This record gives sequence, structure tokens and C-alpha cells, in this order.
Amino acid sequence: MSSDNNDFYAALIHELKNNLGLLSMTLDAIPASGDTARDAAVDAARMQCQGVVERLQQALLVYKANQGRLSPTIDAYSPHDLVDELARRAERLAHGRIRVVTEVTTDVPPIGFFDRDLVEMALINAVHNSLVYARSGIRIEAAMQDGCLAFSVRDDSEGFPAHILASLADGTPYRARGTGLGLQFARLIAEAHENRGRRGALRLANDGGAVFSFIVP
Amino acid sequence: MAFPPAASGKPAIDFGALRALVVDDYSGMRNALRLTLSNFGITKVQLAANAAEAIFQIRNKPYDFILCDFNLGEGRDGQQLLEELRHSNLISLDTVFMMVTAESFYEKVVATAELAPDDYMIKPFSAEVLCARLVSILLRKRAFADTYRHFRENQLEAAIGACDTLMRDQPRYAIDALRFKGEILNAMGRFEEAEALYKQVIAMRAVPWARLGLARALHLQQKDEAAEEELRDVLEHAPEMVAAYDLLADVCLAKKDPAAAQEALQQGVAVSARTVRRQQKLGEVAFDNGDLDTARTACTQAIEKGRHSVFITPADYGNLCRVQLQQGDLKAVANTLKFNKRMLEATPEGQLVMAVTQSVAYTREGKSADAAKTLDTVASLRAAGTHGDSHLMLDLASTCMANGRLDEADAVVAEVARNAHDSDALLAKARKIYADAGRDDAGSSVLASATADVRKLNNEGVVFAQKGDFRTAADRLLTACEAAPFNPRISMNAVWVILKHIDQAGMDEQMIAAARRQLGEAERQAPGHPRLAGLRLHLREIESRFGIHRKHA
Repeated sequence: MSSDNNDFYAALIHELKNNLGLLSMTLDAIPASGDTARDAAVDAARMQCQGVVERLQQALLVYKANQGRLSPTIDAYSPHDLVDELARRAERLAHGRIRVVTEVTTDVPPIGFFDRDLVEMALINAVHNSLVYARSGIRIEAAMQDGCLAFSVRDDSEGFPAHILASLADGTPYRARGTGLGLQFARLIAEAHENRGRRGALRLANDGGAVFSFIVP
Repeated sequence: MAFPPAASGKPAIDFGALRALVVDDYSGMRNALRLTLSNFGITKVQLAANAAEAIFQIRNKPYDFILCDFNLGEGRDGQQLLEELRHSNLISLDTVFMMVTAESFYEKVVATAELAPDDYMIKPFSAEVLCARLVSILLRKRAFADTYRHFRENQLEAAIGACDTLMRDQPRYAIDALRFKGEILNAMGRFEEAEALYKQVIAMRAVPWARLGLARALHLQQKDEAAEEELRDVLEHAPEMVAAYDLLADVCLAKKDPAAAQEALQQGVAVSARTVRRQQKLGEVAFDNGDLDTARTACTQAIEKGRHSVFITPADYGNLCRVQLQQGDLKAVANTLKFNKRMLEATPEGQLVMAVTQSVAYTREGKSADAAKTLDTVASLRAAGTHGDSHLMLDLASTCMANGRLDEADAVVAEVARNAHDSDALLAKARKIYADAGRDDAGSSVLASATADVRKLNNEGVVFAQKGDFRTAADRLLTACEAAPFNPRISMNAVWVILKHIDQAGMDEQMIAAARRQLGEAERQAPGHPRLAGLRLHLREIESRFGIHRKHA
């Protein structure tokens, strides 16, 4: 690719991000009207906008990973803050249709080391999926598992389809759409986290609904 | 699933009282951000379209929260704005500065920067995240209120105590407290403690800022081999960490490896070309290395990126002209002076740069009458007390010599030598000027007598100080300061003995005024010198012991 083309793409992406940012802020600023049909349409638009944002982020992530630049910027962050942030965003997207609850177990330290923006990107995608499939509620959790920090998103849906569980378990690539695509990215991000020889991981399970667990080493 | 709702149990923030400034070059985004903020209850929102507007507004009234886009179109970017605001003390540690960026790359750039924003937002972001992060920063600032107050009042010991308290009582801020404490320790010259602190953080996790802090602490203890090893390893894993290149260049210069220093700066510039100070330094180092093309590009970039900022002085124009003169490109010199004429003519320092540069150019062209005229202008500027940087003064000396104004040349060289009696590089450059003119002997005697006086007074002062006679030591060193008014080493020694004298004999108003003056001069001549912080602290401690309350910048 010529450098002119690169500049052109960079400028386009920049504009695209601005436009999307404006669109999502504009949608966020529309107050509830009390008219159920109208509010539902605005909520649907918010969810779709969130979906487009996620696809754009994923596209950029693939670009970076292909260039070998997907290295997390690790710093100290509060797992409590991250769970709170995710819950606020989930509540905004759920708009009262789905209950959002959180739990941070007492053994979770006040500070964890991870790339906040990458981890949040993986988790908000899981939250978004759960909001689509959940019957009545989702739960965002942080807990310790084998000395690693584990962020989980649970819902009360039918659970993950068997083929997704299987393909994630044996690590085979597959032509994924929708939910599956987001999960592939979450795995990419998890595995990019590394600490003293331990690697991050993505675990999926069905336990009264879908359970998405993101393990930070 | 019965759990309490999210975001409960946190102390409330009064958004209604928060004064916010949104800086974005795109009016659609400015208005959208204002609307978003007003939805949280932040109603006092002002808007600015670029760095100049933002600085104007911030000068007019203080803000509690600045939300700034990194990309501000033409002119300075958000990071340059932040650097200028902090450098000029226009915002305090209590002000929240958040950067908005379209590039997650930015976080890597600033992750270790000396001047980092409080947080950053990657576009596109949701209103909830912006709100949550703002609350989180405001709570952190609240937790750090005592630390910041002590720091502002230059009570660094107390600020460290406050950090220790935070680490003990509020573990969620332990890492932030360690980071701040490390910076204070390095600033106070307590490098060994800083080294231990950063090693403690790295034992938890090798976060980049801790590794950089460790390298800085090592460099300041002259452990440059270990510092270089640390930095090279950091950069191997994170080549975009620009602050590491700047420090690596300092380390290489300390190891007397200017070629490696230039390479490090060039790598830093390749990652981020916008930092004025990196370009300035690259210009200087490349010039000394004889790499004139690189020097010229860097000097030009520095001026271009730093135009209208506080980081550009007349010396920067002088530096560019020096490179162009060395290249024999007299036309470029004329253009540089022409295009920046108004700016240079505005101050005596600028006029001096212009006149010296013109005199060099005229001499090259063999226009001796014009050269003589500009040298007369230089002489009258100098007679009025205008002072230039050492490189400019040495250019002047060599031109005076070429025009047969030997006494003037000797006087200028003597002034440079007195003010830099311990700088091998400058003295060697001065010696070369004499050698080129076939006046080696004259040069030796000028340099010897100029440095001898200062050295003698300085050494006498030090000897008296060692004997405990601080009063006599202070007299000698203040006499040395009169002979060498811009010599940072002498100024710092003078401050040191005056403070010891007051410790011993009690308050002396005239002496402490002299100490303040000399400390100010040393800070101007050698900003960031490792001895400065300790002296400042000692001065401050004496002032508070004797009940002198001064307003701090």
C-alpha cells in the first residue's frame, strides 16, 4: 500500500470514529418520552450503534494484530471501577428491559494489572450479546480464579450454542458471525495478556445461561 | 439475582459546581460533548476550538475539568497544549485534564510521559464511561488533596508522608501514591530511595513508567550502564515509548557517546515528531556530530511545531541559522531572519541573535563594512546587558576575531569561560576558535585567566565551607557570582553555603535574598539540574523555620 493510500485510510478511519462518536452521543442524549413504541425504537438504535462501534474496533484490532502491534498497555487499574463502568453502560443499553447486577468478590484486590481499554472492549461485547439473548437479567462479576483476576458476564439465556463452545474449546478457527466473531476477538485480547509465563484466557460455559469469563493473568 | 445496583456507595460529586472547558476543533463535537456533560449535571461548560483559545480562556479563569481532543487541526495538538499549561503553571494538580483521542496508540505514547493527562478516552466512547472516569479521577484527586497541598507548598517531606499514609489507608491508590512519591524522591535528589521504590513496583508488575523511573534514578546516580540496559530492554518490548528515547539520549550523552544519543533522539522523533524539546535537542546533538542535514531538519521542525509556544526562544532561531551558516547556505540564513524578523526584533535577546548571525554572514561574504556595523549593534546591545547563549557568544567571538576586533573577541570568550568554567565542551570550542585564528597562545591565556579567577573564588569558597566558615565562603562565592553571573555551578554553590551560613548563624535577610536570586539564575541556566530540588527544599525549609511566607508560583 502506498503511503498516500495509508494517509487516506487513516484520515477516513479518523472521520469514521468522529462520526460514530457523534452518533452515539446524539442517541445517548435523546430523553425517554414515555411512549413505549418510540422509546423502544431509540433503544434499538442505541444497541445497533453499539454494534457498529464494536465492529469498527474489531476491524482495527485485526489490522493491528496483522501488523504484530497488538501489545497490551498494562497499567494498574481498579477492577471495581471496570465492573462499575460496564454496569453503567449495560444499564444504559438495557434501558430497564433487562436487570443489570454486579458482584465483586471480597478477595479481588483493589488494583489489578491489565490493558483497561482492550479488556473493556472484550467485556462490553459480551455484555452486548447477553443483553440481546438474556430473558430477564445479566450479572457482571469480578472474582479470583487460581490467582488470576476473572471478569465474567452471566445471563439467563438459553446459553451458548454447542458449536461455539466446541470450537472455542479446541481453538479451531471458524467462519464466525455476530456472537462468534466477538468471542474470537475476546480470545485474541485475552491471549495477548501475559504475566510471568502465564497467559490470559477466555472461558465459556453454560450454567443457568451463558457464562463468559475473561481471565487476566 | 439480587445484588445492589452498580455505582452505589460512592461519595457524591457536585457536578453543578464543576467548571468545565471542552477543547475540540470540530464544532459538532464540541456541542455534542457539551450536551453530554450537561446530561450529567455539568452545566458550567465553556468551549474552545484550538490551543490558543484554550490558553486564553484558562488564563482568564480557572477550570476544574478540561476535556481536550488530541487532534486540534492546524497548530498545537492536545499534548502540546497540556505541556504548555503545566509548564506555565496555568493548571494545578487539582485540575482534571482528560485527553480524547482517536488512536489507542496515544496511550502508549503518554503512558510514560512526564506530562501525562489524568486519563484519556479513546473515540468513539460512551457518555457513561466518560462520566465514570471523571468521577474516578475526582475521587482520586480528593484522596490526594493533602499530598498535592504539601507539594504545592514545596513541603516535599510532608508530601511523601501523605503518600505513605495513602498507601496504608487507601490501598486502591497505593500505586498512584508510589508513582507520585517516586517522582518526588527523584526531584529531591534521593535517587537511591527512588531506585528502591521503582524496584518495589516492578516486583509487582513491570509497568513501563516504573521501569522508566528506575532508569532515571540510575542515570541520576551516574549508573549509566545499568540505566541504558533497562531502557534498551523497555524499548525492545515497547518501541513507541517516546519518553524512553529522550532519557536514553541523556544517558548516552553522559556516557560520551553522542552518536548513540542522536540515534535515540531520531528514533523518538520517528515515533512522535511533534515534541518541540526533542527536536531542539536533536538539532543540538546532530550539529555537534557534524550531521548538518539532520540538524537543520530538527531545528526547522522545532520552530515550526513550537511557534507561538513558550518553548521557543530567540536561541532557536540562532541555532537554525548556525546550521545554515555551517552549510554555507547564506540565502537560507537571510530567509530565516527575514521571515522571523518581527518576532526577533521584539526583544533585545532576539535583536542580539539577529545581529550576531548577520555579522557572521557578512563576514563570510567578505562585506566587512556591513559586518562592522552589525558588530557595533552587538556591542551596544551587550553594553546594555543583553546576554546570549554560549554558542551564540562563541560565534560572536570568532566573528570579532575575523574582523580584527581582538579585544572584543577576548572579552566575549572570557565571559563564556567564566560562565562555563567547568564545561569541557564549551572550553574546547573556544580553544578551537583561537587555534583557527592562529592565536593559540592568546586563547590559552584568556581562558586560563578567565577560568582561574572563577575557579579560585569557587575553590576558596568551598574550602572555607569545608572548614565550617560559611560566612566567608558565601562572600567568596557571591564575588564569584558577580564575575560569572550566568554560571549555574557557582550560583548553586553560593546558594548552598548561604543556606548553611543561615543554619549556623541565624537569619540574614540580605543573604537569603541573594540565595533566592542565585537559585533563580541557576534554574534559568540549568533547568532540571539534579542539585536544584535539594537547594530549593533547603531554602523553603529555612524560610518556613524563620516564618517567611512567600507566595509560590
